[in-house]
Amino acid sequence: MSDLKEIPPNTLAMFGISGGLLGIYLSPLFPTAGALGAICAVIWSAEAVRRVAKYGLGTGVPSIGQIAMGMGIIAAMFGLAIVKSMPLAGPILALVTASIIGFIIGWFAQNVIKMKIPVMIRCMTEIAAGGALIIIGFSAAVAGNFDFMGSIIPKVFDNGVMLAVFWVGAMAMLHPFNACLGPDERQKRLLYLAGSTGAITMAIMGIAATMTLGASGAATLILGIILWLIFYKKFWDEVYNDAASVIGTGLIPKTEA
Amino acid sequence: MVLLDPTTIIDILLIGLSGTLICLAVHFIPVGGAPAAMAQATGIGTGTVELAAGSGLVGLITSSYMYAYEPSADVYLVMAAGAMGAAIMLASTMLAGGLIYAYGVAVPFASAQVKKDPITGERQDIYVSKGTQGQGIPTICFVSGVVGAALGGAGGGLIYFVLMGYYTPLITTHAAAVAGVFTMGVFYVNSVIPSYGVGGTIEGVHDPKFKRVVPKDVFTSAIVSMLCGIIAIMIAGGMT
Repeated sequence: MSDLKEIPPNTLAMFGISGGLLGIYLSPLFPTAGALGAICAVIWSAEAVRRVAKYGLGTGVPSIGQIAMGMGIIAAMFGLAIVKSMPLAGPILALVTASIIGFIIGWFAQNVIKMKIPVMIRCMTEIAAGGALIIIGFSAAVAGNFDFMGSIIPKVFDNGVMLAVFWVGAMAMLHPFNACLGPDERQKRLLYLAGSTGAITMAIMGIAATMTLGASGAATLILGIILWLIFYKKFWDEVYNDAASVIGTGLIPKTEA
Repeated sequence: MVLLDPTTIIDILLIGLSGTLICLAVHFIPVGGAPAAMAQATGIGTGTVELAAGSGLVGLITSSYMYAYEPSADVYLVMAAGAMGAAIMLASTMLAGGLIYAYGVAVPFASAQVKKDPITGERQDIYVSKGTQGQGIPTICFVSGVVGAALGGAGGGLIYFVLMGYYTPLITTHAAAVAGVFTMGVFYVNSVIPSYGVGGTIEGVHDPKFKRVVPKDVFTSAIVSMLCGIIAIMIAGGMT
């Protein structure tokens, strides 16, 4: 609720962007870092989904996760493919491209389709950028680095792991708010659930990475499972904490989140 | 600048057109959302994106199969294969859903938006239960859904065909995966935009909402898809 202190959107955006990019840039040395970066982006974009979906999209929360991944994958492919001579610029270019696509779609949703959601443009920009970072991060964890032509196409696109990155990544982003929405929805609980969905996505990417990279993939798998257990326990505790007032009084909270 | 080449411009317009086809397709599909899942609204009981993407991706599989096994296939054949695959997928979804609505939930199929079914001419309003927005999948919704899925599948096939033309000379064996994933991205963007326009539920071509929302959704999709087309062609520039 509003009387509880929430982490401001800008702080989370800083966390998502810096954590995501740092993880992606460290992935050539240590592929697991790509997945850890993607978890930062998952936490950020799940909170952005929360802010926009609170207004009621009329189509269900999953739609916004899917459009985020649709925009993210287009921008990620563009950003990574276009930089031939300076591959280090790839992830940043993908992030910028995703933000531009997200801004344009958000602008059209607000002004042409007339959705009347005040945070639409900002949140659409954020989730598109988050989607691009999630896709690059998890792809880098499977491919071992973020070289589009050399690693990502043969190790992520050709064997179809991309579909798992796309779908499980979308689930990681949209599930937290889809599961937590309703009365007494709180940011802290959602953030822990986002961490847990991100971590279980990391574990799934670990299985794929074991196939493509071998031993370093197994590190992603094991770390993913450990992180999932930690975050899920935290989420579990939050659920019990929040449910205490309902169990104690038997009254359902009146306010809609 | 390679983007100003006439063939490139035509290809960008074709990708814009296919995105527009996908967007238009969503409006034809009878999407009922959560109310329909409880048989309280006409249509299939799931979201717009799930239906459009589910049928469209099957269309993408059938069109890519056509492209892969018939090297001389022209664009119409690839689009027709996509349309067939998507239409069969959605028709079977609606058939299975209809069986459940009729024999499981036991509701009469009726549309709340029209008084008489435009195809069969049967009265609708007397069969609509009080407090609901119609139930099940009446004939007009079924036909509209099949037409919509065919449009979506054709649109998916068209993007795939255009992209394969760019990527195959550059990355040969990897082209199908890259073009397929890009098509999927464009598909999701273009199936969510109209679902925001229709606000979650639409019965099909006979729904009054159809005329109201199609122009602005199609305009948005055309612009966004052409942007995607420019990006797709620039990706090809990065592969050389």
